[in-house]
Amino acid sequence: MDLASIVYLGMTFGLLVIFVMIVVRTYSKKRKDEGEIAKYRMLDDD
Amino acid sequence: MENQTYNYAIVRSFVTWSMIWGLVAVLVGVIVSLQMVNPDLNFPPYLTFGRLRPVHTNAGIYGWGIGVIFAAFYYIVQRLCKVPIWSDKLAKFQLWLFNATITASAVTLLLGYTTSKEYHEMEWPIDVMVVILWVAFSINIIMTILKRKEEQMYISLWYMMAAIVGVAILYLVNSAAVPVSFFKSYSAYAGTNDANVQWWFGHNAVAMVLTAPFLGMFYYFLPKTTGVPIFSHRLSITAFWSLIFMYLWTGAHHLLWTPVPDWIQTLAMGFSIMLIAPSWGSVFNGYLSMNGQWHQMRENYLVKFLILGITFYGLQTLQGPMQAIRTFSAFIHYTDWVPAHIHMGTMGWVSMICFASIYYLIPRIYGRELYSIPLADLHFWLTLVGQLIWSISLWIAGVLQAGMWNAMNSDGSLTYTFMETMVEMYPYWWARVLGGVIYMAGLVIFIYNIYMSVKKGEPTAVPTITTEGRA
Repeated sequence: MDLASIVYLGMTFGLLVIFVMIVVRTYSKKRKDEGEIAKYRMLDDD
Repeated sequence: MENQTYNYAIVRSFVTWSMIWGLVAVLVGVIVSLQMVNPDLNFPPYLTFGRLRPVHTNAGIYGWGIGVIFAAFYYIVQRLCKVPIWSDKLAKFQLWLFNATITASAVTLLLGYTTSKEYHEMEWPIDVMVVILWVAFSINIIMTILKRKEEQMYISLWYMMAAIVGVAILYLVNSAAVPVSFFKSYSAYAGTNDANVQWWFGHNAVAMVLTAPFLGMFYYFLPKTTGVPIFSHRLSITAFWSLIFMYLWTGAHHLLWTPVPDWIQTLAMGFSIMLIAPSWGSVFNGYLSMNGQWHQMRENYLVKFLILGITFYGLQTLQGPMQAIRTFSAFIHYTDWVPAHIHMGTMGWVSMICFASIYYLIPRIYGRELYSIPLADLHFWLTLVGQLIWSISLWIAGVLQAGMWNAMNSDGSLTYTFMETMVEMYPYWWARVLGGVIYMAGLVIFIYNIYMSVKKGEPTAVPTITTEGRA
């Protein structure tokens, strides 16, 4: 495996890790209310 | 209230101009569909199918689609951030540059100046105009978001920012070219690299122009219309990031069975299939947001546009990945199946959301109720029927065409000549003309209804709008 392939593989893995972290954070029980509050707030302005 | 300085004048202007460009796009679309069934309607050199077709696509995507995006974003960003837009002057500059760019595009395409890159046909001076236009828009939206008084960022703002960043990157990379004269340039890329960059741009123009902004608009206008929040904001965020991570890898599915490296084709095919998940995450979120509210499909014309819009998005995002599979692509690629797919997205998904957005905005930016709900209902049915006739007839035509192209005699020779396959298309191409005419009739009714609402609509009970378009 050459250097370019290793870099591509690393980038792909890095992106996957970031994505998993976003999903875990979004669905963490601690942040449930915080994660849903925007959908109620957007109805307030009218 | 803090909302006393919202700038709706710019929203009004973009709504007006987007409708004008939308009518141009559909009218030219009907003309080119007639040219397909009657070649005598080609008037060389300016009014031939080859020159009018890109005018149709560019007026539709960039004039109509992006025009409505500008209008809706300027409205939504002010409402969600609870601040007026950052710069009124910059927005006005952007409006006139937008119209100058679309006009220059139409004129130069009719004169025969083209890069020949689909959805990016305009030559380099117009690329420069587009970049300035997009930078002005991006600065205004991002600065408004940065100065917001609402801490929470609703999902629509995420889609807005993705579209702003995504379009900028795509356009700049695919614009790279070497100018040799004022109206001629050559791509900075060569061979398969050029093709790969072009379809990375082409398919992601679908992502960042025809998907992300309209999902943002759908997520805003659906709860505002029904009066109940979306089913899950967290699901919308997860679907958003999934879409962003996956979409940019899919462009090479336009290049299956070409000299582009096999692994790139396979990668694009795989990510195209994976895209079903985030796409349907938004579709399910939309449907589940209607729990207990399905009666509004009968009672509220806006809900019909929005729910049919997201339904066509769902169908589109199932059919698209199916087409990205090598074996199926081998059968339908280059046939009339493909424009049928595109038009389900543009006439079904994108335009349904555009219509709903404008119907929603009119009372709020002009302070006048819609002139006629029965006319809006009629518009809905004409849009739906016109689009279905258009797409279904061309799907059938595509399968027939593919079958005839692939038919072989026992000695290995082709069963049909190309001309024989063309002749078989005529009934379906006439059906396409019919679908287009019905759709255009709906569009004319829509524009009439909007015009009459502004001129003769009953005053609304919502906050007063000043003559300068501020609320």
